[in-house]
Amino acid sequence: MHELSLAMDVCRITEEHVGRDGLARVREVGLEVGDRSGVELGSFRFCLESLLGAEPFRGAVPNIRRTAGDELRVTYVEIEDGDPAD
Amino acid sequence: MAIRRIEVREKLMARNDELAAEVRGRLEAAGVPAFNLVSSPGSGKTALLEATLDRLGDELRIAVVTGDVQTENDAERLARRTDRLVQAVVTGGACHLDARQVLAALEEVSLDDTDLLFIENVGNLVCPASWDLGEAEKIVIFSVTEGEDKPLKYPKMFERSTHAVLSKTDLLPHVPFDVERARACAREVNPAIEFFFVSALSGDGLDAWCDFLRGRARAGAASRFAGA
Repeated sequence: MHELSLAMDVCRITEEHVGRDGLARVREVGLEVGDRSGVELGSFRFCLESLLGAEPFRGAVPNIRRTAGDELRVTYVEIEDGDPAD
Repeated sequence: MAIRRIEVREKLMARNDELAAEVRGRLEAAGVPAFNLVSSPGSGKTALLEATLDRLGDELRIAVVTGDVQTENDAERLARRTDRLVQAVVTGGACHLDARQVLAALEEVSLDDTDLLFIENVGNLVCPASWDLGEAEKIVIFSVTEGEDKPLKYPKMFERSTHAVLSKTDLLPHVPFDVERARACAREVNPAIEFFFVSALSGDGLDAWCDFLRGRARAGAASRFAGA
């Protein structure tokens, strides 16, 4: 299907939650991909890794969980927080 | 370094769904039944619409939004069959219409003067299944020169369609197409799907198709009257 535009939507949703400045601190983005969502998982993962691995991100990774049904959603964003010396 | 987890639970494509809901709201308020016509390229969506406009164009006020990857050829073909505005959407590479494009096209359509709306999607049996356009019903068209197992190969499209139109039936004597098998394949993925068998060329089966559309238009008009 539209793995690249879906992956861009993941980036947009992430930005809405952490702000533009927060993107560099994102470590992981959790996703649920329904087995009947029409998404080709290999292609989707490739697109996500390409986008999350490049600026303005700094090495964020996707964590995809397969679910039953046709829903596609971002479930969580993990972000480095607080003092880098912690 | 502390890692903080932000719970999100946000659907992808939610924007398309929001815009589709807006399209659906407008159409329902105006009592206009809308059909999203989907099929592989070359199954006869435009030919079916031409034949439909020829038969019903004087009786019903039919608006058409038609999408193509490139060219406005389909819109031009349809514009020859109706005095009403045919809205062409050139997707410029995208293999499906999205709700934003339909919403923009509807700006030009006077819904209060419309009895039926057709949205002719881009020819593609994969992606259009995933993009809600705000239609009342998806109708999938497939032709007798395709495989009977098309519904099994593209189950999502047949699952999400209320009706299937088997087209080019005038060719049945010349091709090894098993109508019953096609119907069985479609019912396997969608037991409730209903069939029309049409030839836009010979006109066979178009009466039943047009009666169906008249029924939907009447129901739409009744809801408009009830809501007024």
